[in-house]
Amino acid sequence: MSGISTQSTSASRALELFGAYSPIALTAALLALVPLRYSDSRTMMTVIIIGMVFAAYTIAFNIILGSTGQLFLCTGALAGIGGFTSAILTSKHGWPFIPSIVLGTLLASAIGGLLSWVAVRRSLDAIFTGVVTLAFSLSYENLVLGRKDLTGGENGLRVKAAADTILTTRVAPYYVFLGLVVVYLVLYRLIERSHVGWAFRSLRDDEVAAELSGVNVTRYRVYAGLIGSAMLGLAGALFAHNREFIAPTTFAFGAVDVRVLVMLVFGGIGSMLGPVIGAVALTIVDEALVDFAQLRIMLYGIVIVVLFLGFRRGVVPSVAALRERLTHLGRRSTPAAVKPPGSTPRS
Amino acid sequence: MAESAAMGSQSASGAATPHSPAAADPEALLRVESLSSGYLGEDVVLDVNLTVAAGEAVAVIGSNGAGKTTLLKTICGLIPTTAGETRFGSRRLTGLGAHRVARLGVAFVPAERHLFNTMSVEENLALGAYPHRPDPETLDSVFELFPRLGERRGQHAGTMSGGEQQMLAVGRALMSRPRLLILDEPTTGLAPVLASEAYATLGRLRGEGLTVLVAEQHVPLALSLADRAYVLDHGRVDLEGSSAELADNPEVRRAYLGIS
Amino acid sequence: MKAVFLDGIVLGLQMGLLGVGLTLIYGLGGVLNLSHGQFAVLGAIVMARVLQHGASLWMAVPLGLLAAAAVAVLSDLTIMQPVYRLRGEARVLLGLLLMLGVGTIIDGYLEWKYPIEALNIRISGDPISIIGVPMRVGSLVASAIALAAGAALFVFLRYTTFGRATRSIIEDEEGARLCGINPALVRTLIFGLSGALAGLVAVSRAMTSPVISTAGVELTILALIVAVVGGLGSVSGAFVAGVLLGIVNTVSAFYIGTYITTIVLLAAAALTIVFRPAGILGRRA
Ligand SMILES: Nc1ncnc2c1ncn2[C@@H]1O[C@H](COP(=O)(O)OP(=O)(O)OP(=O)(O)O)[C@@H](O)[C@H]1O
Ligand SMILES: [Mg+2]
Repeated sequence: MSGISTQSTSASRALELFGAYSPIALTAALLALVPLRYSDSRTMMTVIIIGMVFAAYTIAFNIILGSTGQLFLCTGALAGIGGFTSAILTSKHGWPFIPSIVLGTLLASAIGGLLSWVAVRRSLDAIFTGVVTLAFSLSYENLVLGRKDLTGGENGLRVKAAADTILTTRVAPYYVFLGLVVVYLVLYRLIERSHVGWAFRSLRDDEVAAELSGVNVTRYRVYAGLIGSAMLGLAGALFAHNREFIAPTTFAFGAVDVRVLVMLVFGGIGSMLGPVIGAVALTIVDEALVDFAQLRIMLYGIVIVVLFLGFRRGVVPSVAALRERLTHLGRRSTPAAVKPPGSTPRS
Repeated sequence: MAESAAMGSQSASGAATPHSPAAADPEALLRVESLSSGYLGEDVVLDVNLTVAAGEAVAVIGSNGAGKTTLLKTICGLIPTTAGETRFGSRRLTGLGAHRVARLGVAFVPAERHLFNTMSVEENLALGAYPHRPDPETLDSVFELFPRLGERRGQHAGTMSGGEQQMLAVGRALMSRPRLLILDEPTTGLAPVLASEAYATLGRLRGEGLTVLVAEQHVPLALSLADRAYVLDHGRVDLEGSSAELADNPEVRRAYLGIS
Repeated sequence: MKAVFLDGIVLGLQMGLLGVGLTLIYGLGGVLNLSHGQFAVLGAIVMARVLQHGASLWMAVPLGLLAAAAVAVLSDLTIMQPVYRLRGEARVLLGLLLMLGVGTIIDGYLEWKYPIEALNIRISGDPISIIGVPMRVGSLVASAIALAAGAALFVFLRYTTFGRATRSIIEDEEGARLCGINPALVRTLIFGLSGALAGLVAVSRAMTSPVISTAGVELTILALIVAVVGGLGSVSGAFVAGVLLGIVNTVSAFYIGTYITTIVLLAAAALTIVFRPAGILGRRA
């Protein structure tokens, strides 16, 4: 950079920023149009709102799994911690809406960070992460079922704090969650472009080399756990208030974790827009198969197996790789999974 | 690489012959023909021809990284062959898994030994006889060869000294009553006295009629045991000949025996 | 208190047997079988169906075990093959994700076809007094089954040629191959054995409480916790950890409430990972 004048530097910087954030703007614009078609149907609005919520979950999960390789099998439980904390505080303890959401988010974040911290300091951390997060999922579920006095157990819990806000109208909540998705995407990109993102990439590519070059692998993994879990908790809390009713099934492993995993793998692990594309695609597929709802879980299982056997890269990286191949015919392309589209080159 | 091999051939004088494709010895127990292999698509063993006749002891010598280990592991089926083939008696070894090669009577003692550390000496030896139950006679002969193992039959392999582990590795290989014993750097990590002792033991086995193929950096020891030897350089056979011829070869003397 | 303790042992023996099956598979090939509990439930549902058709227990149990073993062997022979071609972290990650998929398929299938099916094995007889505590016959038979299976496994692994070969692969796969052992074959057979053991856990559990068709995930997670606390790959560790955690489980359920037990088990797993990652019997602290 030293030989270039400041003027052209700032111009190229602006161009680079545009390149980095314009995909988010474009995605937001496209998604903003969706309710035009469905605004008369309450059912369909619910479907696409849930789709947005899952896009938010999946972006969060992508920060944990995609950026730092930690397989968190407790996305539903973390979202549920946010949801139930906020719901219990508002309905049983009279807390106002916003502080309850903040506390739910912080609690999810703390738990996620702790799980990360326990598992990642060892070799075999993929195993340990899987085990402690699964165990946490079960703990969460038993807790929700067992503390009927707080959670209502299987009967669920009414959540009324947001009854008269836009969160419970028909169309507006879609835009609230779209806003959340945009914020999450911007956050993802900001992290990616910061030194934290650089550390994430280097530790994902080669953990040992990253460690040797002075990246504190543990610390960055725990950061990802804290951030991603906070995002899950926040989305879960907002969702609880939007639904006005939550039950153990709202955040159950089979209902959330499996879907989020499929969405992420389908869209592309470690790509910015992959989670959104995966969420949109799965929402459409689910809606198309609505008559076969009982088969859904089994189909998800089959999709997991098929995706991991044959299509591990996901849609976005595959398209990116194809584009790269077409534009750089003959030149050797870098593996797209490592370099999502629009990501800045390493400095 | 090709250059250095050629240079080696040119400077080869005396009776040691420059390497030429298998002087196809029909009697050979092990016959390696134009073998190439390596890692991740890059060959580090190139077009090697090598034979070992029944009852013979043959050494493969060469500097660090010459490809000795790779060659032996390829023969044993631990590393896939990229070209050429290996025959053992009338059987083709190429393409068989390591466990099938082992069952045909080729026992390999790797430099890292690969013992079963949390199992006793006795269990390690028993596994050497897999899939059969250990034959008491063979077990006795191993204990006779290595009385130390007999004294420590209950001890875990992982807690034994380097020398004892080496004995156990050879003992385990012998339990299958192999027709060919292949060893990779049997003196790794051994003090000089123990290294000589190890070779004395190998000499004894040889005397009992066992066919031996050994890769070794310690050239004097290797040539003291072997009838013939191959010099490997950058994956290619550079020289081959009887041990006496090679010991007199100026090239070998300079490069491997430290004598100018 | 004595009664709580004994109940803990009954549960613990089942948990130990559950963990052993998981730990064997992990030790042999680095695959964390996230559908272990689903194999158990699958076996249980097969048994329940066969029993409903009027067959005897002696008919139903072998069929259930066979079904669980067959699905396990099938998984190993098909989707696990690409996993075994990988090394290190990539193998571990792909292996557990694919088995998560298999578990989800089984869960989804059972939820679709047999949503309210359960296996319940009632063994009649008057309670028998053990150190002054009257124990139900079902609990005693369940424990006897788990103990017998554990003992049989011990003898198999320690004294048979094939069992020794199995341990040798866990210890050093390359060394095992050099001894003439075919790791792929051993893995397939042990996968089947592990499936059958999972089915046996279902049998033993069904004697104390019903095994419902949605219990798979929970059983898998219990197996994982037991295997981690016992030290991944350690068979004796898994058994010891199972019994200890079973006692911890019933004691905490008795004094605090059932809802707390998983949290206590999670804490046990977390403490093990932090302080003794090689497991309670592991040599490295
Ligand atoms: N696992 C591996 N992956 C990639 N390359 C390897 C591997 N093992 C060995 N090599 C390379 O293959 C070449 C030959 O190695 P090899 O171990 O066969 O040599 P060697 O003659 O046994 O050496 P030494 O005397 O040091 O044991 C070396 O250049 C080495 O770097
Ligand atoms: Mg070597």
